[in-house]
Amino acid sequence: MLQVYLPIAEISVNLLVILTLGAAVGFISGMFGVGGGFLLTPFLIFLGIPPAIAVATGANQIVASSVSGALAQWRRGNVDTTMGGILIIGGLAGSIAGVLLVKALKAYGQADLAISLGYVTFLGTIGSLMLAESVRALRRERQGKPVSVRRPGSHNWVHGLPFKMRFKRSKLYISAIPPLLIGAMVGILVSVLGVGGGFIMVPAMIYLLRMPTSVVIGTSLFQIIFVTAAVTLLHAVFNQTLDILLAFLLIVGGVLGGQYGARAGQKLKGEQLRALLALMVLAVAIRLLIGLVVTPSDLYSIAPVVPL
Amino acid sequence: MTPQRRDMQGLVFLLAFGLCLGLTAPVFAQGPKPGAAVPSERVRSDISTREIEIQSNFTGIEIVIFGAVDNAAPSPDGAPYDVIVVIKGPSQDLVVRRKERVAGIWINGKSETFDNVPGFYAVLSTRPLRAIATEEELAEHRIGFSALDLGPDDNTSVDDDLFRQAMIRLKEEHLLFQDLDNAIGFVGQSLFRGTVDLPVNVPTGLYTTEVYLFRDGQFLSKDESALNVKKVGFERGVYTLAFHHPVVYGLAAVAIALLMGLFAWFLFRKD
Repeated sequence: MLQVYLPIAEISVNLLVILTLGAAVGFISGMFGVGGGFLLTPFLIFLGIPPAIAVATGANQIVASSVSGALAQWRRGNVDTTMGGILIIGGLAGSIAGVLLVKALKAYGQADLAISLGYVTFLGTIGSLMLAESVRALRRERQGKPVSVRRPGSHNWVHGLPFKMRFKRSKLYISAIPPLLIGAMVGILVSVLGVGGGFIMVPAMIYLLRMPTSVVIGTSLFQIIFVTAAVTLLHAVFNQTLDILLAFLLIVGGVLGGQYGARAGQKLKGEQLRALLALMVLAVAIRLLIGLVVTPSDLYSIAPVVPL
Repeated sequence: MTPQRRDMQGLVFLLAFGLCLGLTAPVFAQGPKPGAAVPSERVRSDISTREIEIQSNFTGIEIVIFGAVDNAAPSPDGAPYDVIVVIKGPSQDLVVRRKERVAGIWINGKSETFDNVPGFYAVLSTRPLRAIATEEELAEHRIGFSALDLGPDDNTSVDDDLFRQAMIRLKEEHLLFQDLDNAIGFVGQSLFRGTVDLPVNVPTGLYTTEVYLFRDGQFLSKDESALNVKKVGFERGVYTLAFHHPVVYGLAAVAIALLMGLFAWFLFRKD
């Protein structure tokens, strides 16, 4: 069989399994237009890759999978670089905090738990919200009512904060504090969970910052590339948890899968697509929750001593 | 393991076998000279593979330990020779954790740290250890799991024992601790061999192989050899880079990801 020894994870995995996983996650991200990190990292954990290595390697994979999307958006002029820059600054601060948090949690033997709990909370909440939203939309559609697009209002509390800046492309004059905080939050999510963070960044940009939807995707992808790159580097330096061979294989699979996924996605309707994605997100959350609740077959575990 | 490698091991063993026969035959032919002191037995041994290389196709390896008893002579009461082989890998400090249920969720609770736990520890013998020598004798030579020196025993409570047992059991489950009674077989009176499987997760570093010769519960002789498990080629390069030049390694990973993303964009772009 095509077994490949992973130099950092120090386990032997089946080459085809890893390529297929990369392709499947790439396919799903292409189909739904999402990053896919939220699926990749848990599945790597299910395959037996140590969670901390799954997180760092997942971040590295997202760098590659975000490039083509970001470039396409950039060429259409859909990236607000000023906003992106502020989000990146926040993201870098969050990444450093997150990577150091993982290091500390690892020393106390709680990193795996924190990663699983983080996923259950994060995916459970988002999955439920998405499912409720798309079920409502599907029902409305069946009743013949038009699918209403919620129009964001013009002002909220964000506009009362100091350190205002002008964001030309977003046509906004708002405080730099909310984007900094959003960026930091995303940075923590990337470094602790190995996700891109688009999941919370996109809604936050639309509903909190009131950015025009046309620049939201491009700007978030722009930020994601820089932050996932920084997280990859930071994990490599502080935690030695990056497996370059695993990342490479996942990227190869992901690139191929992504192309077919995008084509498949065009054949499905938006509302159905979102309901499907919501179900998938919830399934992963439930699978991880079961792992936390069910009495483990072995209460004891061993790990090398990690200096703080 | 490849078939060629297995053949090679067979060949090595046969060569050693022949060599030992050649060496030991005169002893039998001449016998001890009357009046001269009977030379005491000495055990000699070697390993089929002194350098184990971990590459991308590594899925574990079987090694053969073989040896001979020099000056072998039948014992008056007909008791056989006993051989114990201890293979020990580089040590590491380990923490053992026990999960506890908190608010319905299992989390790591109480833990205990053990110093200098061998990364790999295999004991191969001709018979169960207890049948070969007394507990004290085995402890003196640090043979067997119970004789492992795992740092200061700060408390000897029941809990301490539980953690220690759990650590050994987990190590055994990962095939990193192996207790193989009857794994050593004698070929004729003075030649012996045994095999042990090093699993895929075997730690890298210098290993020692100690071969002990016993008879009638008496320690007779000991031989030592070394074994090196190392990553080579691509695996070694990656490992060295990741642990000694992590900045370069991280930057390389980012650069590869960016380039592959760009490449994919050029390959599939529609605009």
